[in-house]
Amino acid sequence: MLKKRKIAEAAIPTSSMADIAFLLLLFFLVATVIDVNTGIGLTLPDYVPPDEQVNIKVDKDRMAAILINENGDVLVDGNPVPVFQIKNNLKPRIISKIDLPSNKKLIVSVKTDRKTNYNTYIQALDQVKQAYFEVRDEYSNQQYGKKFDNLVPEQQDVVKDKIPIIISLAEPESVKK
Amino acid sequence: MKFEKRRANTKQEIPTASMPDIVFMLLLFFMVTTTLREVDVLVDFKLPEAKAIEKIENKRLISYIWVGKSGRIQINDSIVKLEEVEPIMYAKRQELPNVIVSLRIDKGTDMGLVTDIQQELRKAFCLRINYSANIKI
Repeated sequence: MLKKRKIAEAAIPTSSMADIAFLLLLFFLVATVIDVNTGIGLTLPDYVPPDEQVNIKVDKDRMAAILINENGDVLVDGNPVPVFQIKNNLKPRIISKIDLPSNKKLIVSVKTDRKTNYNTYIQALDQVKQAYFEVRDEYSNQQYGKKFDNLVPEQQDVVKDKIPIIISLAEPESVKK
Repeated sequence: MKFEKRRANTKQEIPTASMPDIVFMLLLFFMVTTTLREVDVLVDFKLPEAKAIEKIENKRLISYIWVGKSGRIQINDSIVKLEEVEPIMYAKRQELPNVIVSLRIDKGTDMGLVTDIQQELRKAFCLRINYSANIKI
């Protein structure tokens, strides 16, 4: 006598797969942030009341003073420079100070007029940041053969230590009337 | 003579197996639409463009200040005066000690106003700021 054995069908029902996929898609749509928060980061100095302000003398060679007037004209250390040239102007100065101790690094000071356009200010600040980022990238390339963003955090710290971004915002002057 | 109805022997049912999925999708859809509008922006602004921009890593730490074309300042859901910036931001800082202030300022604003806001932020000890900008291609 032959036993007839029923073979169970081994199939996974796939009709709902599409729905599951849609759900996943929706989940990721939700999870990803649509409103990207990008911008130029900066740390403000502590507030000092005007009568307690002390002037600290800084070596002239350490300073790069950027002055932007109300017409959008830019002076870097007293020389008129187009906005998009600020980067090229600062880069060699940042590079020359890589090997100096941390109290001799370049300080970039940005000063604006009350009537200066905000956009011009951001463009100038952007140039300064770009100069620093490019120098960091170049230095990382020389030392580790990678771009700054691809370095491990310890290496990044080393590069950050060598090329710190010091941007000083000038204390606003009281309005002359 | 009797007519016999000829009907197919198939079941006449709507498959309901995917019903929960459909419901979930609807639920998710409503979740999406409701969370997107956190704050109503009351001012009209156009962000400047920049190349060397970074992303703020931690979204939870961000607190926004909007400044519109007309020079009006908005924090949270309301238009505030310049003098009110300090107390509001001070309270925010006490809740979140390492708050990052994202400044969404219109391109055409004068730096005078920006400096004033920055001075207020310094008084409120909100020192980490971020000038919001779109990427320039």
